[in-house]
Amino acid sequence: MIGGRGDPTAGVPPPPSWSNRHPCHDHDPGHAPSGESRRRQPRGASVIRLVPRLGIRHVFLAPLLIVLGGIVAYPLLYSLWLSFTNFNIIKQDQTRLVGLDQYLGLAANETYVAGLVNTLVFVGLAVAIELVLGLALALALQRVLPGRGRNALRSFLLTPMFVTPIAVGLMFRFLLNQQLGLIPAILEPLGVRIDFFGTQLALFSIIAIDVWQWTPFMLLLLLAGLESLPPQPFEAAKVDGAGTWFTFRNVTLPLLRPVIAVAALIRGLDAFKVFEYVFAITRGGPGSATETLQYQVYRTGFSFFRLGEAAAMAFVLVVIVLLLIVPLYRRVGDR
Amino acid sequence: MRKIAALFVGAWVVVVAFPYLWVLAASFKTQKELIDPRSFLFVPTLDNWREVVASGIGDSVVSSVIVGVATVTISALVAVPGAYAIARWRAGGEVARFGILLSEVLPPAVLVVPLFLFALNLGLRDTLAAVIASHLTFVLPVMTWFMVGFFDGVPRELEEQALVDGHGRIGAFVKVVLPQVLPGIGAAVIFGFVLSWNDLFYALILAGGNERTLPVAIASYNTFRGVELGQMAVAILISVVPVLIASFVVQKRLIRGISRGGLKV
Amino acid sequence: MRTPTFGAMAVVVALVTTACSSGAGSPSPTQAPVTPAPGQSADASAPPATISGDIKVIMEQVPDTDVVAAMLADFNKAYPDVKVTIDGMTYDQMRDRIVSSFLTPQPTYDMIIVDNPWMYDFASGGFLEPLDERIAATEGYAYDDYAAPLRDIATVDGKIYGVPFYNYGLGLIYRKDLYQAAGLLPPTALDDLVAVATKLNTGGRTGLAMQPQKGYKIFEEWGNYLFAAGGSIQDADNKVALDSPEARRALQTYIDLYKSVAPANSLNWAFDEALRAVGSDQAAQMISYNWMLPTLNKPGGPGGDLAGQFALAPVPGGKAILGAWYWSIPSNSTQKDAAWAFISWLTSKEQDTQRVIAGGAPVRESVMTDPNVWAKGFGQDYYETAAKILANSAPLADGPNAEESINVVGDALNAAVAGQLSVDEAIKQAATNMQAVLDGQ
Repeated sequence: MIGGRGDPTAGVPPPPSWSNRHPCHDHDPGHAPSGESRRRQPRGASVIRLVPRLGIRHVFLAPLLIVLGGIVAYPLLYSLWLSFTNFNIIKQDQTRLVGLDQYLGLAANETYVAGLVNTLVFVGLAVAIELVLGLALALALQRVLPGRGRNALRSFLLTPMFVTPIAVGLMFRFLLNQQLGLIPAILEPLGVRIDFFGTQLALFSIIAIDVWQWTPFMLLLLLAGLESLPPQPFEAAKVDGAGTWFTFRNVTLPLLRPVIAVAALIRGLDAFKVFEYVFAITRGGPGSATETLQYQVYRTGFSFFRLGEAAAMAFVLVVIVLLLIVPLYRRVGDR
Repeated sequence: MRKIAALFVGAWVVVVAFPYLWVLAASFKTQKELIDPRSFLFVPTLDNWREVVASGIGDSVVSSVIVGVATVTISALVAVPGAYAIARWRAGGEVARFGILLSEVLPPAVLVVPLFLFALNLGLRDTLAAVIASHLTFVLPVMTWFMVGFFDGVPRELEEQALVDGHGRIGAFVKVVLPQVLPGIGAAVIFGFVLSWNDLFYALILAGGNERTLPVAIASYNTFRGVELGQMAVAILISVVPVLIASFVVQKRLIRGISRGGLKV
Repeated sequence: MRTPTFGAMAVVVALVTTACSSGAGSPSPTQAPVTPAPGQSADASAPPATISGDIKVIMEQVPDTDVVAAMLADFNKAYPDVKVTIDGMTYDQMRDRIVSSFLTPQPTYDMIIVDNPWMYDFASGGFLEPLDERIAATEGYAYDDYAAPLRDIATVDGKIYGVPFYNYGLGLIYRKDLYQAAGLLPPTALDDLVAVATKLNTGGRTGLAMQPQKGYKIFEEWGNYLFAAGGSIQDADNKVALDSPEARRALQTYIDLYKSVAPANSLNWAFDEALRAVGSDQAAQMISYNWMLPTLNKPGGPGGDLAGQFALAPVPGGKAILGAWYWSIPSNSTQKDAAWAFISWLTSKEQDTQRVIAGGAPVRESVMTDPNVWAKGFGQDYYETAAKILANSAPLADGPNAEESINVVGDALNAAVAGQLSVDEAIKQAATNMQAVLDGQ
């Protein structure tokens, strides 16, 4: 009898046959079950204990923790330490602890603050536009071209996210160029002249490029979301004679909410990393119109070699992202 | 309504197609024609293609494939059991779930500095191993996160039944649960591959020379002596066409996989 | 021949077995690979047959690198026992890799190219091998053949850390035909430039393509305006001298020109866009790298049908911004003799002549005045003008943290052109920030 030994979480000891047949799965009798499993009693526990004791689940989890610990947690802590030093990769002998100096310096750094604001504007706008466009596209796609044609169309519309962002940046740098680009050449006869990379519009042009590349991602998740919706509410709405708009507002949207939240969350977190478009097109200009945090970290750390300060810049970003996602995570998690 | 939908989709098709057509045309243009945006009619030249093929872009394709495949393989091997433990056995509790989400959001800028220094100290600089390790930092969390969702979506009754039927926990996992989430794993693998395939930031800093990946090769057409637009266009096409084909083949599965519960936080 | 030490020995043994046997007997000082102390080998100019080694060279992927790669076969005729591997990559990648190679006990590279803003930091950090004695020991090397501004960049605290590879000094590239038709001569002062550009700004063609992109690019262009206005970037003591009436006038002129004669909406342009605008008859001229001239005049190049119509003049005012690439040897290299063998061979008058004829950008005065080069290369005018440009030029920043110094000035300048700062504010900010960066703050 191994199954019931010292396990208060199992309301009923598992059938002897089960544990006898698989003794190897239960090889750590010395461990007490964690408080976690005590609190979170899985539904099926009354019949069969789905949550095993420490052994196997930790064997399952260990590789993940080890890998993430090695490539994420450890570098993260190292980076945190670097952010409190003035580490410069080509002046390592002068490295010393500077405490919070670098963090305080950032508050007074106008370019950095501009980059912070730009990044937030970029993320907010880009994600919102991509969400609306992606949702509209997903809904529209459901209504056109049944069968094979739709498949082809769908895969074509998804492709922009498969193009490496640096190529997208360089592509649009020349496509949107006033003198040399195709888009202004087409717009000009129509009497439209747009200064795509001037002070007022540069950030929005960068956002537009992001929208071109990443709306497909929203489309992908929302298509998946729409496909996973149960058919009954829609049938009911139809029977009740609800209009398209009414059905969308009162059935589709509420049902799709978790998907929208997830899509926006993933995309938003990714959008904080915007680097390539700025690098390829504006280098942060004109003035500080397109400065973004990721580009600044790159410039400070790898062009100017001040890796300590670059780490501090990056950590401010981490804290901001955390402040933004914790409430979101809570809200979505509650559902 | 149908008409509006068709019109809207049509318009977006044009928006998506436009840059592609431009790139396709550019890959067959001479330097002079590339400068003139109105050069719609031109005699196509294969010079750009010849140059790019001769430049050893094949090696970059191979590097990118190696990095992508290794990254998603390691990720899948590590993420599948890990995600199962988190989803089904509540291993690590909320902390684990949030930790996964958190590692997904870390800007590469935070990690690249230490990774760079580690690679340097371990003598892994300039190796694909360094790039693979760096790609794991963002591919592994995303894949794990998706898979936690997939496992959450598998009805518990299936497993209970499997246990009653005399499978062990591992047996139940392998024989009953895994087949359920296979399409989802496929979706996650493809998604992870695309993320790795596109990365420039890490690949630029951690490897180069003979080990450079496709994005690095594409970026290398942007030189101090100007942007080699024609050749870059060829390189872009070379990098897009495989994923385009893959996307056509797998997109249905991709959508289905994600729709099966991968959309939970 | 120095005997390579431990780690490197294994590599050498594995890769160049024959070379090792020929060099093994020579008595010469051994050096630990990490010590940045200068290694003076008495036989740096030893006859080719006795030099052996296996060197890895990092270079940028540009046409100049292709020219050098094509010369390797000839080099191996002279030095059969030196194996050279060229590792070509993009600019941004190259810098990171050079630095990481400095930091490892077993360096990746034995020979590197150094961009002029990096020279001071790399040399003062002890990462580069001083080359004075090697230069002196190399017969017929004629180091004075390089223009003084080129030599100054490579000299840090009185020692030479690099020899010039190719230049990117700036000049005015203009359309001969347009100048002739309008009866104009190349401008020699800032006001002339304004007059000429305004006159040529007609119809569908703008008077001057500019490169006001934030950071490096705008400073590289505007610096020429500053010199033309009589200003300077740093004074004799290397203190920042940007806060001057001359600088204000230069910036005001730059902004006026951008608004009146530059292509519309070109605030993010770098030299690439400018080149395309000039090459496609959309702008009459530009201030750009002098070697853009042969590029534009090449049939089938970016100049298209206009090839042959372009000419080069020194920038207005005569004094130009100078950039250049240098060959250097990392101090942690274990293959210094072999690396110097390649550098000294490649940059010798004889081989440099071949390099320039093959299309490489010139650096040696004697090469630029060689009628043989004129005939086989791009003509007398080009080389004589290039020599003039190099002789009267200065880099953007001299001293520590040059890369960042340049960028902070360029940021302020671009903000002024974008209208976010007034001319006065921008100049003050540029001067203050550059001084702060130079001071290492």
